[in-house]
Amino acid sequence: MVHSTITPLAQEERETLRSFIADQLGRGNLDLPLLPVVANRVLLLSSDPDADASKLSSLIQQDQALAGQIIRIANSPAYAPRTPIVSLQQAITWLGLTMLAGLAFSVSVQSGVFHTTGYEKEVRNLWRHALATGLFGKEIARRIRHNVENAFLCGLLHTIGKPAILHLLAQSPDKSAEPFSWITIESLFEEFHITAGSKLAAVWQLPDPVQETIRYYQDDQYHQAISPTKGAMITCLAHHLASVMLGNSVHDENSLLTLPVVQDLNFYPEDMTALLELRETVRASVECFLP
Amino acid sequence: MTSATPFDLIVIGSGPAGQKAAIQGAKAGKQVALIEQTREVGGACVYQGTIPSKTLRESALQMVRFLQATEVFEFRMRDDVKITNLMTRLDRVVRAHGKFMKDQLTRNGIDCFHGRAGFVSDHEVRIQKTDGTATFVTAPIIVVATGSRPRVPDNIPIDHEHILDSDSILSLVYLPKSLTVLGGGVIASEYASIFALLGVHVTLVDTADRPLKFLDQELTDEFCEAFEKTGGHYRGGQKIGSVQWDGCSKVTTVLESGETLESEKVLVALGRVSNLEHLNLQATGIQPTTRGLIPVNHHCQTTVRHIYAVGDVIGPPSLASCSMEQGRRAVCHALGLNSGVAPEHIPMGIYTIPEMSSVGLSEQEATAKYGGATVGRARFHEIARGQISGMTHGLLKMIADPKGEQLLGIHIVGEGATELIHIGQMGLLHNMPIDRFIDNIFNFPTLAETYRVAALDIAKQRQH
Repeated sequence: MVHSTITPLAQEERETLRSFIADQLGRGNLDLPLLPVVANRVLLLSSDPDADASKLSSLIQQDQALAGQIIRIANSPAYAPRTPIVSLQQAITWLGLTMLAGLAFSVSVQSGVFHTTGYEKEVRNLWRHALATGLFGKEIARRIRHNVENAFLCGLLHTIGKPAILHLLAQSPDKSAEPFSWITIESLFEEFHITAGSKLAAVWQLPDPVQETIRYYQDDQYHQAISPTKGAMITCLAHHLASVMLGNSVHDENSLLTLPVVQDLNFYPEDMTALLELRETVRASVECFLP
Repeated sequence: MTSATPFDLIVIGSGPAGQKAAIQGAKAGKQVALIEQTREVGGACVYQGTIPSKTLRESALQMVRFLQATEVFEFRMRDDVKITNLMTRLDRVVRAHGKFMKDQLTRNGIDCFHGRAGFVSDHEVRIQKTDGTATFVTAPIIVVATGSRPRVPDNIPIDHEHILDSDSILSLVYLPKSLTVLGGGVIASEYASIFALLGVHVTLVDTADRPLKFLDQELTDEFCEAFEKTGGHYRGGQKIGSVQWDGCSKVTTVLESGETLESEKVLVALGRVSNLEHLNLQATGIQPTTRGLIPVNHHCQTTVRHIYAVGDVIGPPSLASCSMEQGRRAVCHALGLNSGVAPEHIPMGIYTIPEMSSVGLSEQEATAKYGGATVGRARFHEIARGQISGMTHGLLKMIADPKGEQLLGIHIVGEGATELIHIGQMGLLHNMPIDRFIDNIFNFPTLAETYRVAALDIAKQRQH
């Protein structure tokens, strides 16, 4: 939730942009970016029972920048390889097929899918939050014996609507030389990122549980999700944990305990303590993926 | 000093044992508090055990029947039938069953508490809620029915992602290409046969030379044959050295013999442990056994006479059917009510594919007790109903005394075994002579006819 004071000027700017975004999202021919070919194939491969390391390796090799990123992540202190990782195949072996497929998708989407010029730092923080949500999602899923791979992907992509809104704003006719204020953009995220994310997820044909999570991950919505994988509920709590960890939440560790989602997941104080104890591990992983 | 709400009876745990204990108490007019640590009532039986595994099994069987029917009726199924479809059905069944149980408790006026129970004293229980607050209840009679969970062996790093236990196996969203199942008991054998039928390459590994060793060998031989026919493999006489995910795409299981098995996923089903850790049993003076079970007498009374323990927390047979009866009888005993005659012949049902079921004495037990046994057999494929249904596997084995006159036991492998067994159970309860199965008429064509065929087989041996 955004808690900020919007000045009258920003309010005016917001209203103009709000109308533009609302109009764009209301149109049938929404101009959203296409999913990069490599990301699309990585995503398909991640849910393919016949997928193996060699297939993923050859896919990632098609994108030099992506391959470089993967090697860098595999060599980072968070994953502390016993010997330096020098090949993609070795990196896949070290990081794991599922984790790597999700990250390859994420890295591929980050680099060049959306027009976010002028907001590089903020967009980086969005991805850091998304990644932290995915990683916390894995741990929540592990505790309640739900699907770990699915929870990671749901968390990673739950706010995909936010960069999509930035992408739409880049096409705004009122675009000035100066970037729009981030406070204004955050208020637009608040209002539109679910709709934008849902439309993008449908266009990109993301897996059904991921689409459902994008629609319903918020506190007052996850009850509407029907998938037995509970991706929306898991991501809701993971989102809060990531926000607390990254210092952009209205909650603290104590008030997290009172969240309805904590009760609905049947987490007792000791369960939450165990999850919060994973903060440094999650933070280290986020730092190495998105320094 | 805490202010505890008084009840006549406290039941801890809402699985089959706890539920029946609570209902028995309520039916006797008592004020009952039922404490459950999860949000839903029903326990592991509903959410991780009996109901989900049997629903998955049924879905798998239906899917295979449909696939077989495509040839006969010339239709085609979608190629992308996913395990999530099977799981979605499972979710619906589990929700419906949970609601049914909750309604039943409400109807009986039972006060349900959501929280973790821990003894404050031998009469008082603290209920810790998820938000960290606590309430207290007290009663002159307390029943512990907290159930069990999968055992985590020290040498196997279960991560619920690649190396799963019998709870997390139900979280799969796609079928793995291969699955190694560690264990040779009921849960291991059930899941191994379900996944093999779904087309997964399954290897079942255990120390015993055959799975389900407590069952009649002819039954397990028939099961193994059916399992192998669906592509499964049983590796008996093997000890597990280590299990390791390679960080990429496969899990390597190293056997103590030095042999390695590679598979996409591993299911660890090496027993269960009782849920005692939150109970604070020290406050009652009850000392668990070295195996982590609560010791009880034949009335399910613990060493503290007004505290009873029922279901998985007291150990074998750990069958939902027995647990329910233990719960009911424990409360009857505590309240001084007549609980009826104690069940003599408890049937055992194993939901493998094919099913197995057993009641009464085995051939070995009958031989030991009577100095011999007469055995009659009927194979499903020799019965009209079996032929109509295309049953290639199935055996009913009838055990009689050495003279071949008195029924002593029934052992069945084949579809419908867990239902069919009850004819034999009734026969045993009424000391039925073997000839009663010959002199009476069964519906035709039915699998019940196997009783008559097996009885005739025994009668034939009498004449020699």
